[in-house]
Amino acid sequence: MRKQQVFRLLALLLTFALVAAACGGSDNEAAEETDDNAEVDSGSTDSEPEEEAESEDEAEPKEEVVAAGTEAEGDVDTEVAATEEGTIRAQGGEIAVGLEAELVGLRPWEDTCGSPCMNVLPTLYDKLMESTADGSYGGWLFTSIESNADFTEWVGQLREGVTFHDGSALTAQTVADMFPVQQEGATSRGQIAASNLGDVTATGDFEVTYTMTAANSAFPAYLSRAPLGMVFEPSSAAADIDAFNENPVGTGPFMFVSRDLDNETIVERNPNYWMSDSDGTQLPYLDKISFRPIPDEGTRLDAVLSGTTDVAHTLRQGTIRDGRNARDDGAEIFLFEFQGNNVGGGMFNLLVPPFDDVRVRRGLTQMNSQENVIEALGGTGISLPGTQWFSPDSVWYSEKAAAAWPQFDFAAGQATLKEYVDDPTRSDGKAVGESISTELSCPPDPTLIAAMQVLEQTWTASGLVDVELTNYDQQTHIGYALGGDNGFVGSHTTHCWRVANDEDPSTWLTPALSAPTAEIAEAAGLPGPSPLNWSNYWNEEVFANLIAATRTGDFDERYVLYEKVMLQLAEDVPIWFSGHTATALIVADELTGLASWELPDGTLGNGHPNAEGRWGQAWLDN
Amino acid sequence: MGKLLAARFVRLLATLFAVTLVSFFMVVLLPGDPAVAILGQDGVQNPELLQQVQDELGLNDPLHVRYGDWLGKAVRGDLGDSYTNRGQSVADTIADRVPVTAQLAFMAILIAVIFAVPLGVIGAYKQGRWPDKATSASAQVALSVPNFITGIFFIWLFAVKLNLLPASNWNRMSNGLGANLKTAIMPATALALTQMAIFSRLVRSDMIATLQENYILAARAKGMSDRFILFRHALRPSSLSLMTIVGINFGALLGGTVVIETLFAIPGLGFRLINAISQRDIQVIQGITVFIAVVYVVINTIVDLLYIAIDPRIRRK
Repeated sequence: MRKQQVFRLLALLLTFALVAAACGGSDNEAAEETDDNAEVDSGSTDSEPEEEAESEDEAEPKEEVVAAGTEAEGDVDTEVAATEEGTIRAQGGEIAVGLEAELVGLRPWEDTCGSPCMNVLPTLYDKLMESTADGSYGGWLFTSIESNADFTEWVGQLREGVTFHDGSALTAQTVADMFPVQQEGATSRGQIAASNLGDVTATGDFEVTYTMTAANSAFPAYLSRAPLGMVFEPSSAAADIDAFNENPVGTGPFMFVSRDLDNETIVERNPNYWMSDSDGTQLPYLDKISFRPIPDEGTRLDAVLSGTTDVAHTLRQGTIRDGRNARDDGAEIFLFEFQGNNVGGGMFNLLVPPFDDVRVRRGLTQMNSQENVIEALGGTGISLPGTQWFSPDSVWYSEKAAAAWPQFDFAAGQATLKEYVDDPTRSDGKAVGESISTELSCPPDPTLIAAMQVLEQTWTASGLVDVELTNYDQQTHIGYALGGDNGFVGSHTTHCWRVANDEDPSTWLTPALSAPTAEIAEAAGLPGPSPLNWSNYWNEEVFANLIAATRTGDFDERYVLYEKVMLQLAEDVPIWFSGHTATALIVADELTGLASWELPDGTLGNGHPNAEGRWGQAWLDN
Repeated sequence: MGKLLAARFVRLLATLFAVTLVSFFMVVLLPGDPAVAILGQDGVQNPELLQQVQDELGLNDPLHVRYGDWLGKAVRGDLGDSYTNRGQSVADTIADRVPVTAQLAFMAILIAVIFAVPLGVIGAYKQGRWPDKATSASAQVALSVPNFITGIFFIWLFAVKLNLLPASNWNRMSNGLGANLKTAIMPATALALTQMAIFSRLVRSDMIATLQENYILAARAKGMSDRFILFRHALRPSSLSLMTIVGINFGALLGGTVVIETLFAIPGLGFRLINAISQRDIQVIQGITVFIAVVYVVINTIVDLLYIAIDPRIRRK
């Protein structure tokens, strides 16, 4: 009996302790522990009701404009620099690379290729051009490429002496023979149209001529990545594209060995690779690479920490933060970090009231504090706030555009939105004074959910917005934005999204701001609407500036045109921001070379944007 | 017996029809277009191309036509080709992954039974005393902790801290049994803990009932040792429920290893299924769903037949 009383007392005490622990602790704990955002992202504000009340009572000071070239606290970008003279680049060794996801396939013209895939395909396939450290493009398989005066024809000179993995020679005719395959390719067809490419012909043994359907001064950018820029053996690809996927043939530094889907893709050193380093040592340095899809972020990092793999590829701020913490705690790892143009946030659907009115868009954007959002997402010291579709260290970044972006000012945002709400001619047809309604939608990632809830609280605190939060899986999320069954208008209202990348702006900005509907396309003399204009934004002058930027090769002229575009976007606010995307390759200490790779002419490459490693010039420093 | 088998076969067909019908309509009615997943942003820029891919895949056909086409081919053993990994048949996809998931499930069940039986026997034998309470409490804890939490803990302890086992991925049997077991033991054990808790509780309660039977009393009166009585007289009749649950849970594990396979990056059925769902690869989803349903019903049939074989009382009936 006495023993029972003791156990009962202990049980009671334990219960009290558990309740006390559950009720105690910081309200911000959940926000501080949240991980990073998914590929489609949200912009959201993590501010407590108390903070919102304060901002209602007193005007927030204007946030300072981020100067060009700025990096976040902690110097997020790993410096891209040439290898020091005298450095011994050891040959040999094998590495295992943990990727975020499995590749869809190994055919650059046929299979979609995101960041994980862009770690693998360049080991098998060389590109015709490559991005350089200063944001331009240099020759890789092309020794040079030049255009005519109006950019309607490009002529490239192929490097001689390059052979495919099967021993056949690369000639101009090979590149020309790739074109019919690319014309039928699921992913390359769209790029051919977007790049204005009309035809590819061999006008010499090693001379390739690209004939454009319309001028494109930035065409070399398309030759620097999949699907158009990667060189594959066209006869075997044309003979059987499914068999080619089982045995891909390129000219790359590595050759295909085997593929165990969802487990491992193995490539090994190409003993006949054409390129040598500046010391005359034949590339690549490594003997073998195993690429392994490890979807769980924690497991991928643990795999590096435990030595199961040598690299963890990540597009998540939370994993970068955990990697930094592990390194600071003594783990023998190095973080190759990068933060570029890609910026998270969300988009309004400008064809759906009330988001067709700039007062609504501006008001909601002004009520979004990016600093708080970034903190909620765990990105403080990692991610910079966004003000345009270029990062502060991009050559295209404009301080003028940054200053024009609607900065966080809750009171001003509320006042702007109230103008609309009190307008008798408001576009959503609601009565004067009635709150606007929106569905705020993000994929069901824990950090996005947390960020979304904060944004919902902020917007709701204005007393002018009814927010319905929804979560859909990524395909559904994209499907709502795409809206294939309603003329690509989409059925979203406020939708988490990411925009921009580090390629030439014409390759992604033009389709993103092209005609959103068939009617507008027809009126503008365009062949059709652009499904990639996710926010359905249209401004004739903006589009004219984008086209003009593809008609000139002068950087200063293009810069002015893109700056005008960004200034107009700051005026029209079709999207809101929640910080630039940080990416990283977290590697075992002895693996290096990812920030120092060079083009064949010795020009420094652009490092590892978007966590895409150039493994052909990586080595194990042990 | 023949009647029994025939009845089971009819039930199998009805179950399969219902499962494929429900899963097909649930997936196709989801928003999200497989053509968009195939083409990606580069391909989607061309609306005509999007239309063309949709037509090639039959995505614009009426739902009943699409289901009928699929069913007609499926009964002939053709489960179609993957939408996203084109060139790979669904049958090959399943054949590639079944050994992995089956090994995980089998190991999990084996580990669970090996530990659950003695724990259940001890609990029954020492009913009400501290060994019983200790095993019950342990079972409660094992039931309460989700297996992915256990998996994360195992990775941290055995891979990161102790460097004993690899943190992720899979070594197939062809790479050597030792290498294979090194990659399998953590995920299998993470799966096994919950099963062990369930099995041990079941064995315990059945044993308690059996130990009260008259023939057990008679065995004790004859002077037989407790150990002999427990494992020779009491365990067998107490195993019927366990067998049923083992069979059911094995079938459930074949489709229920998604989280563990994703956590450990293991190329099994669950991992492929979750990828197929996110990519709207309807052919793969249908194929794997049908496969799991077939296995589940077949296993249950085998369990029913084993019942008859083990328990003479049922045979006489």
